[in-house]
Amino acid sequence: MAKKIIRLNRARQERLTTKEKNQRANRTILRRTLVLMVVCGILAFIPLIVTLYNLMIRQHDYYEERAIRNQTRSTYLTAARGIIYDRNMNILASSNTVETVFIDPNEIAEQMKEPKNANLLDQIARGLSDILEVDEGFVYKQAADKEYRYKIIRRKISEELADRVRDFVSDNDIHGVYLETDMQRYYPYSSMAAQVLGFVSTDNVGSEGIEAYFDSTLTGTAGKVVTTKGNYGSEMLYTYEKYYDASDGNSIVLTIDDTVQQQLEKNLQNAINKYDIKNGAFGIVMDVNTGEIVAMATLGAYDPNNYLEIFDEDVFMTLEEEYDAAMDIPKGTEAYDAAIAKYNSDVAAARLRQWRNRCVSDGYEPGSTFKLVTLASALDCGAVTLDDSFYCGGQEDFADRDQTVSCWKTAGHGAQTTAEALGNSCNIAFGHIGTRIGRTRFYDYVNAFGFIGKTGVELPGEAGGLFFGRDITTASLISASFGQTFRITPMQQVRAISAIVNGGYLLQPHIVKEIIDQNGNTVQKSERTVLRQVISNETSMTMRDLMEFVVTEGTASAAKTPGYRVGGKTGTSEKIDVYDENGVQVEDKIVSFVGVAPINDPQYVVLVALDTPEYVPGTTFTPHGQYISGGLMAAPTVRDIFLDILPYLGVEPDYTSEDIRGVNMVVPDVVGRTEQEAAELLTAKTITYRVIGSGDVVTDQLPTAGKQVPGNSEIVLYMGEEKLNVMVEVPNFIDYSVADVNWLAANAGLYIQAKGTDVTTNYVLAAYQDIPAGTQVERGTTVTVEFASKGASD
Amino acid sequence: MRSDAVVSSAQQGKRLQPPEKEKSAILLDERGLLDLPFLALTILLVIIGVVMVFSASYARAYWKTGNSTYYFARQAIFAVLGIGLMLFISRINYQLWRATSPIFLAATVFFLILVPIIGVTVNGAKRWVEVAGIRFQPSELAKIAIIISFATLISSYREKMATFRYGVMPFAVILVVLCGLVALEKHLSCVLIMLLLGAIMMFLGGVKIRWFAVGGAIVLLFALIYLKTQGYASSRIVAWRDPAADPSDNGYQVLQSLYAIGSGGLMGLGLGKSRQKYLYLPEEHNDYIFPILCEELGFVGAVVVILLFILLIVRGYYIAMHARDRFGALLAAGISTHLALQTFLNIGVVTNFLPATGISLPFFSYGGTALLLQLFEMGIVLAISRQNDNKLL
Repeated sequence: MAKKIIRLNRARQERLTTKEKNQRANRTILRRTLVLMVVCGILAFIPLIVTLYNLMIRQHDYYEERAIRNQTRSTYLTAARGIIYDRNMNILASSNTVETVFIDPNEIAEQMKEPKNANLLDQIARGLSDILEVDEGFVYKQAADKEYRYKIIRRKISEELADRVRDFVSDNDIHGVYLETDMQRYYPYSSMAAQVLGFVSTDNVGSEGIEAYFDSTLTGTAGKVVTTKGNYGSEMLYTYEKYYDASDGNSIVLTIDDTVQQQLEKNLQNAINKYDIKNGAFGIVMDVNTGEIVAMATLGAYDPNNYLEIFDEDVFMTLEEEYDAAMDIPKGTEAYDAAIAKYNSDVAAARLRQWRNRCVSDGYEPGSTFKLVTLASALDCGAVTLDDSFYCGGQEDFADRDQTVSCWKTAGHGAQTTAEALGNSCNIAFGHIGTRIGRTRFYDYVNAFGFIGKTGVELPGEAGGLFFGRDITTASLISASFGQTFRITPMQQVRAISAIVNGGYLLQPHIVKEIIDQNGNTVQKSERTVLRQVISNETSMTMRDLMEFVVTEGTASAAKTPGYRVGGKTGTSEKIDVYDENGVQVEDKIVSFVGVAPINDPQYVVLVALDTPEYVPGTTFTPHGQYISGGLMAAPTVRDIFLDILPYLGVEPDYTSEDIRGVNMVVPDVVGRTEQEAAELLTAKTITYRVIGSGDVVTDQLPTAGKQVPGNSEIVLYMGEEKLNVMVEVPNFIDYSVADVNWLAANAGLYIQAKGTDVTTNYVLAAYQDIPAGTQVERGTTVTVEFASKGASD
Repeated sequence: MRSDAVVSSAQQGKRLQPPEKEKSAILLDERGLLDLPFLALTILLVIIGVVMVFSASYARAYWKTGNSTYYFARQAIFAVLGIGLMLFISRINYQLWRATSPIFLAATVFFLILVPIIGVTVNGAKRWVEVAGIRFQPSELAKIAIIISFATLISSYREKMATFRYGVMPFAVILVVLCGLVALEKHLSCVLIMLLLGAIMMFLGGVKIRWFAVGGAIVLLFALIYLKTQGYASSRIVAWRDPAADPSDNGYQVLQSLYAIGSGGLMGLGLGKSRQKYLYLPEEHNDYIFPILCEELGFVGAVVVILLFILLIVRGYYIAMHARDRFGALLAAGISTHLALQTFLNIGVVTNFLPATGISLPFFSYGGTALLLQLFEMGIVLAISRQNDNKLL
């Protein structure tokens, strides 16, 4: 019974078990489905929503910015760079539109992922290298940076080349090669006023000069269109665009006059050639009443169109030789590397030198020209009067100064009036004048004349003066009073001299006359700005007389300008802080002259400085035997400049002056006129004539119309008679006296324009003739001959 | 199987009869009313998907074909066909799939073998076959084959599932064969889904948890070997960890995807206003359609779509839990799992939550036959839902 029950139970249990198992399996499915519903249906999506939250809400700004950068193309609308004009609206610098070719390496790489485009880069490289004459390898190199979208292949190509690139791109349906408009700066006058103008670098940034100082004004604002662009340049349906208008750069009108600038540069170059000047020259022409700079030049210059090229032929040849020498050294050696490195640094230094505007960026030693400042100060404060007398014994020991002061004239000038002390440029006299002014008062005057700070002229990289402090010692005061042991900038000097002659007004110098917009409207105009009156009007009047005295009676007789009254001061100074390779101070000199004309009604000041005339060591003579001094080198240069620019600037010469002989007159056309008519025309020009033949009208003339002859010259009028057209040989005039030169010229049938001192002593001999001896010229040609006194100095 | 059938026929009588006057009713047939929430969610997702295909694809469509509605038109046709197919399938007694599962499996294997022989190469991968003008991926079939065959086997083995011989062996063999064939196509993502799907089906069927440990270890081993030997896969890992490291190459797609998602913000740029779709983001109408959705509809839109997916998946499991038999339960759960896996992996990849791999987003990614197959699966679930009030509990 019990067994049965057990069996029954087991059977039921087994039956139940099968059913239970089935149900349990079902329950398992159910339970596990529920687990999956929670895990796969809900839990799995939580991290995804969190991730989306992080990306879309928390990092939204980051990704949006990246996405926009990814999707947008900025098309730049170039703003035309402003023009630089001279004061007469002649264009000194302007911009041409050119084009720059660039590739989109990213786009090219994307396309090349498609097998049919596998050769795309090869095609582009070949095509571009053909048209643009660039190396194929360069194209591959630029295309290698696949994450970039802008790699330049060639900058600033002409319209013609650009069209060929466009044809290449459209003919072959190429994507990834683009052109953009670019700018090329052009300087029509080449090297003229190069350092004033500066240049524009390849990436269109103004460098040096006006281009740098007014870079943002000239540049204007480049416009921009930011457009959403599909990849591969596809157009978008919903785009957003932002326009930023381009505004063209403003133009700059300089106070520079192209003619005056050319004459200044021409005469500086002549001086460099004539006087064996080693380290270039610089000069400024400024309007003493307005502070406007009419010309400013530094030689050796450069051509801003090719600013990297070394412009000075000598420097260029030296560098070429250095390069050739380096190339002779076997490659790979240390010596070779060193030579190449030196060559590169020399080229860089030569570039920096030729770009430098020495008129504002560098100080120079003014030497005796500074005596004008000392004397003006002394007269103004009453420390010295014109009636004072100064004794010069050649050398003198001053109180509170260990170093003996020597005058350039070792024999001494003896007793001199104030005017004579200036005319003689006597250092000892000026030492006394300086001590009479007193240390702080002297410093205050120097400061008031604007030598301590910068002038604020509109040019970059201006230097201030390198002067003593207000606690200047007596020893230094003495040296400073005759213009030694310190440096000032040429800009400061012309401004101070202007103040001395214009009534005492220190002006704000300007090289920019006005800034105009693209429609010609004035945006900004430079006004005459008086900073302060440094000396009284009376002192200024006195100084004019004294300055004229220096030219008429003193060291600057070579500055006498026919037809004009000129005042000025010479300077010859040892350069401070210049050493040779052994560390020994060299005797390099800088000679200068600052002249004002007309001195009775001052209008223009001209400063010329010639840096280091070559000298025979131990002497003060050039290898050509010229005495090195401001009076003999810089003064005649300034005179030539005055002769070239004053008539042009409308400063009328004094035709009644005896000196008219030295002014060139343009021969009028009198052919076909009666003798009487011809006589009237010629007399107006102070020209006399003689007649050959007996006709009624002038049939020919010698020299022909348009030629220049010195004032008071006699020309030949042919009346019916055949003109004798004879070529003559120019004789040698050098080292002949004035009388001899005139006799030689008359014999040859030539005219002489005599320049230089007219003190007819035995010492005055011809030093220079503009047409070399032996040249065949037409009869009636004018030869310019310069006379120099072998005795004058400083 | 027989007892199952007996139960079902016994309960047939109790079921709601279709009204006589509406003989051709689609929603309510002789087996009952289909699950309306599931149907509604599916159709809603299909509609949103087609709209997104239009928005995402027209730039590329225009660029490639000159016709900006090229992809949209095809997808729309397939969507209409697919919904028709789904409703048709929903009216077929799903027991048919139990009966035909060996044929289905055999056909899948046949097509998979055909791939290396007469396969069609698209985008550099040979994964398609073309039969009677219809081009499809047999690997897509394979996933369904796993669901159907595993459901069939599990429901017949029932309590034997706890044993190795019944609970593991047959499934392992099927998985190895199918996965092996798909692996030949170098279709890593599909293999991954098949393995996960197979494992989850086995888990549902009651396989002891320890076998998963063994299987997991084996898969891990293979995965490590694969990562070591396959350069492109490991460079994917690098791109996953720092997409910006190589923005032009491996990281490009991920970065572009993140740009799209990130620039969406809370509300998005507005429907149709994606910028990344302008040929920046590759595959923007296929695997990477979700980022475009994020960009256009914002975080709100993205979460709404994810919620729709969640609701659909949960509803699918709910239908499974209320299926009138074990086969139906397994089938519905398997299909829901398939849907969940695809959705999770796709969104995980495009958000760089997971390393990049090519998995499409159900109902959204462009692809006609794929959409048909997805809706075919949904049709099966709907068919199961008709007999739903017979609960397992």
